[in-house]
Amino acid sequence: MDATSTRGAGDAGIQVIPVWDPLVRMIHWSLVAVIVLNGFVTDPENRLHEYVGYAALGLVVLRLVWGLIGPRHARFTAFPPNPVAALRHIRDTVSGRNLLHLSHNPLGALMVYNIWATVLVLCATGIMMGTIRFFGLDWVKEVHEVAFSWLMASVALHLIGVFAETWMSGVPLVRAMIDGRKRVPAGRETE
Amino acid sequence: MSSIGLIGLQSKRRAYMLAVLIVANVMCTVFFAMDVIADIESFGSGEASHLMVEAVAAIVLVVGTGFMLFELRRILQRNASMEIGLRAARGDMQALIDGFFSEWRLSDAERDVALLLLKGLDNDSIASIRGTASGTVRAQCARIYAKAGVDGRSQLMSVFMEELLGEPLAKRGDAGALQVA
Repeated sequence: MDATSTRGAGDAGIQVIPVWDPLVRMIHWSLVAVIVLNGFVTDPENRLHEYVGYAALGLVVLRLVWGLIGPRHARFTAFPPNPVAALRHIRDTVSGRNLLHLSHNPLGALMVYNIWATVLVLCATGIMMGTIRFFGLDWVKEVHEVAFSWLMASVALHLIGVFAETWMSGVPLVRAMIDGRKRVPAGRETE
Repeated sequence: MSSIGLIGLQSKRRAYMLAVLIVANVMCTVFFAMDVIADIESFGSGEASHLMVEAVAAIVLVVGTGFMLFELRRILQRNASMEIGLRAARGDMQALIDGFFSEWRLSDAERDVALLLLKGLDNDSIASIRGTASGTVRAQCARIYAKAGVDGRSQLMSVFMEELLGEPLAKRGDAGALQVA
């Protein structure tokens, strides 16, 4: 008891931890812009749709490279794809014991990999449609369209996840992706 | 103090600038690379020299981006260690300790024990304060040392002493040298 009170003493109850570096944030919001542009603004028959698609490809590849050589919280090792850990995170959250993760939480990590993979599928099929070998093939176009629907569903789930986690953990996650700092209530168990 | 703050602000700006440049560079790289691939596919219409120029441009961009990525990582690391040094200099020991404990992923119980360790209490005193067996405290200490990557109590202390004594001065010298260069 005594020790717990000492630990919490001397701060305002909020610990500010820098988590997301500028490049991670820039890639995140650029990818948002690119997805909105190609999903709802550009004409798929247009050259611009192609160029925006290239930008998406570049962003995801850059993020993958940064996941290998970037700083600690940006690295894949900080959020390995682990379905078992994701299930445990769901169970813990439901039972009210929400463990705090400085990088992505295990469930969020799966979503991150899912979104990157989906964008890569969109890029690959998009580029294929422009090549002579795959031009006019129906299945390529279908995969492209299904992947886009899947991406939209994923984005919706991603948003739900972010707001649910914000609500449960008390750490404003959207703000963390804007200014890079997670505001963690003091005394929270982190992992 | 103010000079450290200024350097901190400058290198923060550098980090943002680099991030923007890296993203822009990657966009250009993809554009050129895709154009090269498209040209190879429909060779005959494009001339070889045009292809060469684009291929070289793409390669140069990739190499440049690589350099900028490593430079950005270096700046970020320096900023992070400078922030640690600054916190110590401001006497913000509590935040520093909390930061390290979080980094080491100590559990709530381990944090309590580690803090009492830092305050210089021995195992038996910690056990009696926390109302646990001293064997439990010993096990918790072992886990704390393992997570912190230290050999024992004195090394755990020295992690924090190092931040207080060595770091800020060393970092200031480092940053000064960089300013000149």
